[in-house]
Amino acid sequence: MIKLEHISKWVNQGNNRIFLLKDINLGIEEGEFVSIMGPSGSGKSTLLNVIGMLDTADEGSYQFYDQPVHTLKEKQRSQLYKQHIGFVFQAYHLIDELTVYENIETPLLYQDTKSSDRKALVADMLDRFNIVGKKDLFPAQLSGGQQQLVGIARALIAKPKLILADEPTGNLNSKQGEEIMDIFTQLNKEDGVTIIQVTHSEKNAAYSNRIIHLLDGRIEHNR
Amino acid sequence: MLFNYFKIAFRNLLKYKGFSAINILGLAVGMASAILIFLWISHEISYDRFHEKKDRIFEAWNKGSFNGKVSCWNTTPKILASALQSDIPEIETTTRVNWADNYLTRFGDKTIMMKASMVDSTFLQVFSFPVLKGDIQNALMNPSGVVLTASTAAKLFGTDNPIGQTLELNEKFQLIVTAVVQDPPNNSRFQFECLLPWAFLRAQGWDDDYWGNNSTRTYALLKPGSKVESANAKLENFRKKYDRDDPTGGFFLYPIERWRLYSSFTEGVEEGGMIEYIRIFTIVGAIILLIACINFMNLSTAKSEQRAKEVGIRKVIGAMRHNLMGQFLGESILIAFLAGILSLLLVQVTLPAFNTFTGKLVEIDYTNPLAWALWAGFILLTGLIAGSYPAFFLSGFQPTKVLKGTFKKTQSAINPRKVLVVLQFTFAIILIISTLVIKKQINYAQNRNNGYNKDQLLYYFLTGTAEKNYDLIKNELLSSGIATSVTKTSAPLTEGWSNTWGIGWKGKQPDDRTLFDRFCADQQFVKTAGLELVKGRDFDLAAHPADSAAVLLNESAVKAMGFSDPIGQVIQDNGQDWTVIGVIKDFILHSPFAKTQPMVIEGAHGWFNVIHFRLNPTNSVSTNLKNAETIFKKFNPSYPFDYTFVDQAYASKFEEEKKMGSLAALFAGLTIFISCMGLFGLATYMAATRFKEIGIRKVLGASVASITSLLSKDFLKLVLISFIVASPIAWILMNQWLKGYAYKTSIDVWVFVATGFLSLTIALLTTSIQAIKAAVSNPVKSLKSE
Repeated sequence: MIKLEHISKWVNQGNNRIFLLKDINLGIEEGEFVSIMGPSGSGKSTLLNVIGMLDTADEGSYQFYDQPVHTLKEKQRSQLYKQHIGFVFQAYHLIDELTVYENIETPLLYQDTKSSDRKALVADMLDRFNIVGKKDLFPAQLSGGQQQLVGIARALIAKPKLILADEPTGNLNSKQGEEIMDIFTQLNKEDGVTIIQVTHSEKNAAYSNRIIHLLDGRIEHNR
Repeated sequence: MLFNYFKIAFRNLLKYKGFSAINILGLAVGMASAILIFLWISHEISYDRFHEKKDRIFEAWNKGSFNGKVSCWNTTPKILASALQSDIPEIETTTRVNWADNYLTRFGDKTIMMKASMVDSTFLQVFSFPVLKGDIQNALMNPSGVVLTASTAAKLFGTDNPIGQTLELNEKFQLIVTAVVQDPPNNSRFQFECLLPWAFLRAQGWDDDYWGNNSTRTYALLKPGSKVESANAKLENFRKKYDRDDPTGGFFLYPIERWRLYSSFTEGVEEGGMIEYIRIFTIVGAIILLIACINFMNLSTAKSEQRAKEVGIRKVIGAMRHNLMGQFLGESILIAFLAGILSLLLVQVTLPAFNTFTGKLVEIDYTNPLAWALWAGFILLTGLIAGSYPAFFLSGFQPTKVLKGTFKKTQSAINPRKVLVVLQFTFAIILIISTLVIKKQINYAQNRNNGYNKDQLLYYFLTGTAEKNYDLIKNELLSSGIATSVTKTSAPLTEGWSNTWGIGWKGKQPDDRTLFDRFCADQQFVKTAGLELVKGRDFDLAAHPADSAAVLLNESAVKAMGFSDPIGQVIQDNGQDWTVIGVIKDFILHSPFAKTQPMVIEGAHGWFNVIHFRLNPTNSVSTNLKNAETIFKKFNPSYPFDYTFVDQAYASKFEEEKKMGSLAALFAGLTIFISCMGLFGLATYMAATRFKEIGIRKVLGASVASITSLLSKDFLKLVLISFIVASPIAWILMNQWLKGYAYKTSIDVWVFVATGFLSLTIALLTTSIQAIKAAVSNPVKSLKSE
């Protein structure tokens, strides 16, 4: 599904080139549940952004299914990720001005889904995460765990093949964190959704079937 | 999708109430100004465009040269029309319109003053003033016929049928109503309450076939398909064939669509006219609207940090850039829509004042779907202009940057927001300087010595039997102590009604075509008017009966005639000899902004229309007026006592300039107001974003004053730059404007100093409120927030 070859990304500071990612070679198959670990500044989020096509590498090739992402234009990349990838963030990143219902619905608006289909899909999602009663609330009226549920629901609404989660439990207490991890496991096992998460927590990493360790922009372990 | 956009826009509107209010109010004021200007312009350009045959209607203009200068004017000899008709095959018909005059009109026991135009019988066929009653073909054929407008007919006859009724005009003419036409619309140059047939004028013996008497307006209707150019070619030297006295120059036909907007010629070339005001106000309207749009742009982009996260999220969950641009444009259009509604209210509220000010009767036709379509289009346009830059700016954010939480707006030395603020204040400062210069010019001309004493001086037109009873009126005014001096003149002292280049004197060059103002006065003119006598004496018929053929010259006239000793010289005018008995200092007859012209004041053999009298200062003005009314009523009983104070008539000479000044002041005020609202918004925002910095500075020991100045300094710098940019532009523009005046003030340094000081003060007041508020806040609050 994902094939990164010799991916490097850097910034220039004066005469020095500082590598954010250096010569990353990585393959991820459909149905995997991968955790990316490493200390702060090791390039975890950058790698995730490159995989999510929000950011581009300076060097190397990236194959997503049969598409050579590194050759695509920004518009084509957007088209590609909006079809296949759902994002979950540590800070939830819900739109404050929209209700729970509207937040979940928004990705469908950008995919020109018909109104009746949208209603059905959002209703399913609200059901599935048990947040029907909260659908008219605004994000500020929810707890962190509830907000992240909405964030996941929004990531899943467009039926993505791949979920990218950047420290999804970072702002949550351990009980809420476990809930989220259970949901990920369930998604991975039952729906066959590929999941890549960035995490600091060994406990969360244990949910996955593969852990990649990054250090200074390089892959240290890949098991 | 669209619904979604508006929903979010609406929620954002409510969330940031202050910003929304500034945006909506600013845009509404800008839009209201633009709408008013648009209404004014559309009224101006609609003048006489309602005539069905407008494409074929032309006005005949003279073109001749005097002392090497080409002049064009639109009063023509009465005889021209028939010559055009017979000589120019392109012309289907002609129609003449003489000066409108007021007539005392009586029907039964009803008496009114009626403004009458004398026109050719073809008038109603050429121009479209729909006939409501009567016979359009023959309405103006009969010399004792009269055509009334609907409102005049209603005044005299109520609901009765006026056709066939007999009216009495000026107590001597009996006229029969032949037709009733609709009132002329206010966007027509023809304003009349009744039409008298040319045949009536001829029957009174007022017609003439003298080519030198340019006194009437002549209009031509071309045949369908005829070219005006070929007619004009035939008219170029038309006087050669007919005018034996002065066979030079000719005429040209001037199209109807240029009458109102142009009709101004310099050296025979169209230049200036109303169109210049239209251009200026179009620009001013656009600028005010632009300034209001700039507020929106500035505030929206300043707020961008708050929207950045939303943009990032939307992009991550699949929004393309065009989706986001659509969303932001939707928001600006919503704001423009709300502003549009508010602006209509503002227009409706200010329209009466606007109409008083412009002397028009402009109104919005709410039943016209086109007006609504224009309004909607205007809102859309405003929304697009105001929203385009923010939409472009906001939709460009990169999600990886804004979602990391480290996103900060760039603090470059020149950012578009600063440029826009500079632009706003540049306009505002130009307008302030212009206002000051215009006011200064008006003051300058008002302080000019007008050459006579305006105080307690009145004039009264010799209407009805006043002319016949002039001597009686004069004697009573003097003997009852109402007036100290009474003089009969040809025209009011503030108006030049007659001029001529036909005056003869000893030593005149044969090709000299110097134009003299011609004025007539019977007695004690210098005394009544309070003129300054340089040489000789005033008219005094009692002591010198020969003074009826005497003449006073002004100093310019003496110079133009080249007299070293003017007293006793004999000059010729109208086939008569006039002996110079005195020389006066030039006084202002025409515009106080123009140079005074050579002038002759002819004695009692001249022609007279006006009584001037100076009130006796020992009585109160009201007593004098009350007693004067009794005398005038006694000797001219049918006519109302309509008098004019000369000082008021003189003051009206400044009206146009004063209007210009008020408009410039109004627009300067609006521009400043809108710009300051934007500045206030920016200052509010800036104080909010630098909340933490201010806290840290205070903890480190900064005083309130130092923080206030820190926060205000940036804005003051921008205003200073605006001032530097605006000053030379304003100087050039105002110099250009002053060039149009012969008598003009200088543009002093203090104008600029005052403007700079004023704009900095206003900007400082606007920003410092927010700066002080931020500076006095408790640092503990701002620092614990992280």
